[in-house]
Amino acid sequence: MASQPASPSVGSAPPLEAKGRRRQQRGLRNDAGSRPGETLAAYLFLAPYLFVLGVFIIFASLYGIGLSFFRVDIGFTTPQFVGLHYYSLLFQQLSDVSNSDFWTSMINIVKFTVVVVSGQTILALILAVLLQNTPFLRGLFRTIFYLPAVTSSVAVSLIFLWLYAPQGAINYLLSVAHIHGPQWLEDPTFALPAIMLLNIWTTAATYSVFFLAALQDIPQELIEAAEVDGAGSFRAFWYITIPLLRPAIFLIVALGTISSFQMFDQAKFMTNGGPLNSTLTPLLEIYNKALVDNQFGYAAAMSVILFIIIFIVTIIQRRIIDPGKQ
Amino acid sequence: MAQTQIQAQSAIRHVEIAAKQRPASKFRWHHILVYALLIIFTFTSLGPFIFSFFSTFKTMQHILDFPPSLFPTAWTIDNYVEILGDPSFSHWLLNSAIFAVGVTVLNVFLSAMAGYALSRMRFRGREIIFVTTLAVMMIPMPVTIIPKYLIINNLHLINTYWALILPMMVQPFSVFLMVQFMKSLPKELEEAAWIDGASRWRTFIQIILPLVQPALTAVAIISFQGAWNEFIWSLLVLDSRDMWTLPVGLFQFKNAHYTQYNLLITSSMFNAIPVLILFFVFQRYFIEGSTAAAVKG
Repeated sequence: MASQPASPSVGSAPPLEAKGRRRQQRGLRNDAGSRPGETLAAYLFLAPYLFVLGVFIIFASLYGIGLSFFRVDIGFTTPQFVGLHYYSLLFQQLSDVSNSDFWTSMINIVKFTVVVVSGQTILALILAVLLQNTPFLRGLFRTIFYLPAVTSSVAVSLIFLWLYAPQGAINYLLSVAHIHGPQWLEDPTFALPAIMLLNIWTTAATYSVFFLAALQDIPQELIEAAEVDGAGSFRAFWYITIPLLRPAIFLIVALGTISSFQMFDQAKFMTNGGPLNSTLTPLLEIYNKALVDNQFGYAAAMSVILFIIIFIVTIIQRRIIDPGKQ
Repeated sequence: MAQTQIQAQSAIRHVEIAAKQRPASKFRWHHILVYALLIIFTFTSLGPFIFSFFSTFKTMQHILDFPPSLFPTAWTIDNYVEILGDPSFSHWLLNSAIFAVGVTVLNVFLSAMAGYALSRMRFRGREIIFVTTLAVMMIPMPVTIIPKYLIINNLHLINTYWALILPMMVQPFSVFLMVQFMKSLPKELEEAAWIDGASRWRTFIQIILPLVQPALTAVAIISFQGAWNEFIWSLLVLDSRDMWTLPVGLFQFKNAHYTQYNLLITSSMFNAIPVLILFFVFQRYFIEGSTAAAVKG
């Protein structure tokens, strides 16, 4: 549908292409010298993309920032400018964090992110090292480890609701080890850890593929040279492999952090933020503020704060993990 | 969204790994430890799926047996019968299929078009569009979700297929993938076609698209998986029962049957199995197709 307007005008393009080609052969990389026909054709090819990019990404982002300065509800009153009201409201709540849903959700998500990102990064590295040292059936194991990552979070949440049930399989495994399992999802102490475990389980394999690629880029001679010099394989791994993996570690930690901060599906599906707000996440709180309380401006202000926090955390991670090149 | 991007990136890495896999090393003693650990991880990765799959054939009374058994004591397909007997359920499946197929077809085609322009045409503004594409991939989803909802609301598209499909019909990450694949193709291919008098459009359809088939497949899989598993956006924009997609339907189904674990895990199979099949079928295609592309390049 959106592609239809492109065909007629591009159909008349060939003579212009011939001239454009001559320019290409001269090896120009400057866009300024392009033919008008080429430009028109290019923008027709790009039209649907530019529509989505312009409306749903760029305009939406700016609109979101603007929205946070207005009181907006659907169907009641016209939007009303409130300036920094929502921001000051949110920052005032910092004095009494335990009574603020937003900051409670922020503390939950920071705990969640720290545990999940460390867990998934370490597990991913272990899986990658194991796979790299697998002479036979490597592909089969990689496929198997990948299964939790391709399964939808909704399906996985449903399955784990059952596995985490008080009489469920996880508590059965614990009882074998003579541990009395908790009521995972009904207990404010254990609900968030239960979702953390689930997330580490589903994400580790995805990231292990990154590590596997990075491991294979390390020249084998370096490791062998260290072992010849008397370093054991563990010392060689710690002092040579790990430092060389810094860029991969940063990438995995940053991607993991960004996606952990946006956790929604499992919290909505398994606990809906409860019990006692112990699994409330910022995105869940934004959703509630907008769709339940009909306060879209307030929700937008929360989104902006969440974005700034994610941004700062990623920059700090870069400084610490991979300061080499900027 | 972010989840799919990451999976896509690693899917691409898959391909590279396959291309430069080292010859298998000789068997050494420490491989015993490696295989022992691999088997433990196989158990934890695969276990929950196998256990829940067999348990979909258990009755309500046996679903929480303590100690649990892998196989049902008495096999029953009542769970499936009950779920498929719910007329809403087939509605939700159909809605999910329309959403996922719609997004897949549009995103594959439209991102290939955009990728073609950005990688093989020269025009004013190309650099800035490409850099913007890279930049917007970093914007976290919570920033745009509320304004996107208001835009869709103002366009009076709430509770329609368009609300689902329109924002996802061409995705920056797919465009980026297409650019990466297309820019490595030799220029002579197109030039030969132009000498024969083919237009840009025909060159794109007949010369370029067949050559980037691995990229098209990769984008198709990412788009389908992303749309089929999508939850938060559908939950926001769909408000009538007959318009829900499967994940939204499952959420309401879960609230209605929250202690009937036999029904919950059976219903999860409908959401999980299509993507798993896709994964098993296309993982091989992925590796073979892109190895071929790597050899050509």
